[in-house]
Amino acid sequence: MKQAGALSRWATFGPALFVMLALGALPLANLVYTSFHTVTWSGGQATFSWAGLAHYRALPADPLLRAGFFNTIVFAVFAVGGQMLLGFTLALLCSRVRRGRVLYRALFILPILIPGIVIGAIWKLMLNFDFGLINQITDLAGIEARNWLGDKETALASVIAVDIWHWTPFCFLLLLAGLESLPQDPYEAAKIDGASWWQELRYITLPLMAPAIMVTFAFRLVIAFKVFDEIYLLTGGGPGTATEVLSFTLYQRFFTEDRAGYGSAMAIAIIFLCSLLLVAALSVRRRPETAA
Amino acid sequence: MATRRQTLAGMAAASLTLGRPIVGSAQAKMAPITVVINQSPWFDSFRKTVELYEKESGNKVELDVNPFAGSLEKQRNSVRAKQGQYDLLIMNSGWFAEMYFGGFVEALSDIDPGFKLDKDIFTLGDTVFFDPVKKTMAPGGKLMSMPISPLIPVLYYRGDLYKEAGLAAPQTFAELEANAKKFHKPPKMYGIVQRGARGPATVSFDFYPYLYGMGGSIFKNQAAGDYTVTLNSEQGRAALDYYIRLAREAGHPKTAAMDQADLIQNMVTGKTAHVMMVIAAWSQMDDPQKSAVVDKVEFAPTPHGPNLPTAPGLGHWLGGVARNVPDDRKRATVEFLRWYQTKAAQMATAQAGGIPVSAAPYREPIAQERRFRWMKAIAESLPHAVSTMNFPEAGEVIPILELGLNQAIAGEIAPVASLNSMAEQIHAVMAKYNYNTGTLPKLN
Repeated sequence: MKQAGALSRWATFGPALFVMLALGALPLANLVYTSFHTVTWSGGQATFSWAGLAHYRALPADPLLRAGFFNTIVFAVFAVGGQMLLGFTLALLCSRVRRGRVLYRALFILPILIPGIVIGAIWKLMLNFDFGLINQITDLAGIEARNWLGDKETALASVIAVDIWHWTPFCFLLLLAGLESLPQDPYEAAKIDGASWWQELRYITLPLMAPAIMVTFAFRLVIAFKVFDEIYLLTGGGPGTATEVLSFTLYQRFFTEDRAGYGSAMAIAIIFLCSLLLVAALSVRRRPETAA
Repeated sequence: MATRRQTLAGMAAASLTLGRPIVGSAQAKMAPITVVINQSPWFDSFRKTVELYEKESGNKVELDVNPFAGSLEKQRNSVRAKQGQYDLLIMNSGWFAEMYFGGFVEALSDIDPGFKLDKDIFTLGDTVFFDPVKKTMAPGGKLMSMPISPLIPVLYYRGDLYKEAGLAAPQTFAELEANAKKFHKPPKMYGIVQRGARGPATVSFDFYPYLYGMGGSIFKNQAAGDYTVTLNSEQGRAALDYYIRLAREAGHPKTAAMDQADLIQNMVTGKTAHVMMVIAAWSQMDDPQKSAVVDKVEFAPTPHGPNLPTAPGLGHWLGGVARNVPDDRKRATVEFLRWYQTKAAQMATAQAGGIPVSAAPYREPIAQERRFRWMKAIAESLPHAVSTMNFPEAGEVIPILELGLNQAIAGEIAPVASLNSMAEQIHAVMAKYNYNTGTLPKLN
């Protein structure tokens, strides 16, 4: 009986495991294998030469990777921080609105529905030095025009602003769903006790929302770490390395320069970093539960 | 605005005026072919020329059009497969060597031993030839490809302003600098707008006419297999110093962020007196729907140093036949190329707004027409055009130039430090792949 149960579990679980291995583990294994080789082409055929750990050892000295790593951290922290703050504020406001809620919600989520390529076009035009709307507005206010995407002082900040505009709706939607599912009893009890709006937020909403906030934060952090399209479309990593990010460096090394071995090693390192980040973010969320 | 049918009819009529049939030997029914190509300012002229071929020959040509980087990726994926999807690869100067060295394209003369390059076709730094044993590109090698578009930069300048000021087209860098400063009245008018942004082949392509025009180079002698890195020579320093000085004293305040679209935009809106830009953008200057300077822009070879010739970098496109496609499609592709190199086809290309790869149209009366006033500059420049990187690892060297030049122009690092750093990195790449390489002493 026990054996038959185990067999049926494997029979149902097996295909799923096989599909998961085929779709996830095999490509990853192939990437790992390639990362230990140098790939060259001759006579239309690829040659894999053993490189050992050479590609991995070369990673820390790669100037683009170093710049990309630093910028990605800055980008992720500020972009996700801004999105969480704005998204939560909007969600709080929207959760208290009684009329026109659907309309507000539709308006707030609009940017996330726009394809990345269109966002690139919109903001490239908006931030253009000679003809951009932003400079025309600042000009009216008597402020000197800036090259938002071309100056190293403002380029990364401009891309972060675009990313906040693009992805805040994601945080807004998840956090609003979280807010709307909160139990009402604590709020009613707080009202009877005469709690202020701030006390409600500080002692009821935030603690109850902590899991939703952490999950949203973790998701966004991982997505922010993978940022590519906005950089590719708006700045191409420049000026200099001011907006170089990890994904763009990987694109450059793997695709543009066609260095499959080195690019694979870089990809593995980035996957490792992202996984580490996700685990760290989720462990922060779990700690209080474990303590309890 | 002319319709597509009107344009084709016009091209056909233009060809008939030459008193010979439009299509030479391309009447035989061939297998359909697929061309992988990038979306460029010159693409429309190529499309129209292909349509003319289809009309005249009855053969089918499908165009797979992509962004610059996307075209390379599609070509790589196709040629590395067991059977390729694309028959004709339109290869840029940045990656044709990768296709030759990797054995991904088949020599035209191997597909059809009777195929000969027309004597009028520009060989563009002999990059159409390749010796797979010696790994060199010289006329003794096999004929690997056909030029499709001979793109080089030329100087675009405001002829109307020059006429008012009583100036002649600048021939030397000193003249260009003096004239650019004369017209420089920012923000209404910039003396010159340069392409200093970091991209796939952006600032480096813009810098080549300065570097080679001042007697500098990236390598000592590629043709002889000497890849000693000479970028950080005194000539290299002079070129980069000049480029930056021109940008600061007579250029756009944001040169380090300017790409080709910005150059075109500044020129057609009348905001700059000069740009040095690939010739493919010429038709936009006279398009009343896009340009505020119709008939006001003139063309000249890129300036040069004293006692040196103009030296634009080749940013050309070559057509190569993929090795891994069926033989009938290879033959059909060669047939298309045989037609493409005829004088009639090249005249049709010019009529459609393209840049002929044959010297023949440049000798015709068409070259004297006001509309084709750029032809003289191209005809003068092409014999001096420089193929900067004839090796498959160009894809690793170009990003080094893009970053280093951009940082120097943006003021992130000093020009000398940038030149030394770029030279060191390029040397490391060449040494890694066992080229005969070396370095110059560091600049101080």
